[in-house]
Amino acid sequence: MSSLEAVLDSLISEVDAVALFSPSASAYDRFVGEDDVDVLVISRENTVDAENFIELPLDFGDVRDRIRFGIEGAMDQGVIDDGDVLACVVPVFADEPDTVVRVRASESLHTGIYDLFVHSRAEADVIRDVLELVIELGKKGQKGQRVGALFVVGDAGKVMNKSRPLSYNPFEKSHVHVGDSIVNVMLKEFSRLDGAFVISDSGKIVSAYRYLEPSAEGVDIPKGLGTRHMAAAAITRDTNAVSIVLSESDALVRAFKGGELVLELDPEEY
Amino acid sequence: MVALDRLFAEIPNRILLAGIVLILGMILGYIANRVNRRLLTRAGIPEAVEGTAFERTARSVGTSTVAIIAQLSMWFIIGVSILAALSVADVRFTAQFWGQLTGFLPEVFVAILVLIVGIVVGDKVELVISERLRGIKIPQIGVLPRLVNYSIVYIFVLIALGQIGVATSALVVLLGGYIIAVVIISAVAFRDLLRSGAAGVYLLLNQPYGIGDEIHIDDHAGIVQEVTVFVTRIEGDEAEYIVPNRRVFEEGFVRVRHD
Repeated sequence: MSSLEAVLDSLISEVDAVALFSPSASAYDRFVGEDDVDVLVISRENTVDAENFIELPLDFGDVRDRIRFGIEGAMDQGVIDDGDVLACVVPVFADEPDTVVRVRASESLHTGIYDLFVHSRAEADVIRDVLELVIELGKKGQKGQRVGALFVVGDAGKVMNKSRPLSYNPFEKSHVHVGDSIVNVMLKEFSRLDGAFVISDSGKIVSAYRYLEPSAEGVDIPKGLGTRHMAAAAITRDTNAVSIVLSESDALVRAFKGGELVLELDPEEY
Repeated sequence: MVALDRLFAEIPNRILLAGIVLILGMILGYIANRVNRRLLTRAGIPEAVEGTAFERTARSVGTSTVAIIAQLSMWFIIGVSILAALSVADVRFTAQFWGQLTGFLPEVFVAILVLIVGIVVGDKVELVISERLRGIKIPQIGVLPRLVNYSIVYIFVLIALGQIGVATSALVVLLGGYIIAVVIISAVAFRDLLRSGAAGVYLLLNQPYGIGDEIHIDDHAGIVQEVTVFVTRIEGDEAEYIVPNRRVFEEGFVRVRHD
C-alpha cells in the first residue's frame, strides 16, 4: 500500500489551503485546529460558522464546476492568490467527503462561473432561481415534450431597448417575480412561445415574446449552437445582462455572460 | 338491601339532587374537555402555536396549550356545577358569598382565557417578526420583536383586568401615551417612505412608465431599470439614479418618445 500512500502524499504535500466542500462541523473543527494552512468552506449554507466561506448557489452536479466556483470565489475574496495550491476535500458519490483533488489556482482555470452569480447586475438569488427553473424545464420539458427557452436576466431597461416584441406581452402590467411557485408553472406554459423572456435585476418578469436584436459581431461561441444561443450570447455582450438558455436540440442548460459561455450543465444531473 | 334503602331514606332529597347535578356537571365538563380539544386541534391551533414560549413552557410541564384551554373549559363547567349543586343543596349560611361568586366565576374564566390567548398571540407575533428580520444581521434588531410581543401582552392584560373589574384607567392612559408616541415617531421617521410608497403604488398599478422607457425625473435622465414601491432606478449614461417615487409626483416626469 506504500505506493498508494505515496500518491496521496504527493496530492497533499505543500498545499497553501484546504477547501472543504459541505463539511460537517466536527470535520471543520479538526481542520481549523491546525494552523499551518488556510481553511475554506464551500457549501450551500455556512452551518459551521466558517471564517472563509463561499456560498454555493447550486449543488453543481459536475465536481469541476463546484471546484471552479469555490476557487474563483476564494480568489475573488482574496483568501487565495494566483498560483496557490489547494487540496479540495469533496463529496462526490456520497454525502461524506470521499475525494481529494489537488488543484493550482490560476487564471487559466477561470471560467467566470463565480462572477456569473456574484458579480452580475442581477441579484444572485434571481440568477439562481432562473437557473433552477430552466433546469427543471429541461428535466421535465413542457408536457413531456422537449422545449427550448431563453431567459435574459438583469439590465432589463437596456435589453428592452435592444429588442422588440413579437406579439403582445403576456406580462404587461403584471407584477410577478421568478421564484414564486405559481410563476414557475406560468413560465413553463409560456416557454412554448417563441422569443426571449426578459427579467429585471430584482427578478420581475418584464416581458415574454421578445425578439432580441443585439449586434452579433465578434461573438465567439462554440460552433454548432443555433440562433437562440447566438442571440443569447450577443445580448450579454451588448448589455450587462446574463442569459440562460435551454437548448432544444441537446437539452443542456448554458449560461452566457459578456458574450461568452460560462456555464454548461446537464439538467438530468440535478 | 334494607340497610341501603334506609341509608337513601336518611339522605334528604335535596342533597341527592345536588349530587346528581354535580355528577352531571363533571360528565359535561369531561365532554367539553374532549370536544374542545378535538375542535382546537382540528382548527390547527397546535401548528399555529408551535414554537411559542407559552407552548414550550406547557410542553416542559407535560401538557400543551390546547390541553390547558380544554381543561380550563372543563374546570369552568365543574365549578359552575359545584355552585349549582350547593344552591340546590340550599347551603343557606353562605348564600350571599356564593351569589357573588356565581357572578364572578365566568368573568375570571374569560379573563384567564384572554390572558392565555394574549400570551400565545404575542409569542407568535414575536416569532413571525424575528423570522422576517432574520436576513438583517443587526444584533440590536432583536429588541423589536420582543417589544411588539410585550405590547400585545400588555393590551391583553388590560382586557383581562377590565374583565374582572380591576381599575385599569391609569394603565389605559399609559397605553394611550405609548401608542401616540409610536404614531408620532413613525409619522416623522417614515414620512418620506410613506409618501414614496403611496406614489409607488400608483406607479405600479397604472404604470405610466415601465422598464425600458426613457424618462427624465428632475435632472435625472435615462432608461428605467426597475420600479419598486419606494424607488425608481434610472440608468443614465454614466450613473444609475435611484429616485424616490415621491419625486415623480412632486416634479412630474418626462417620457421621451422614440417613434
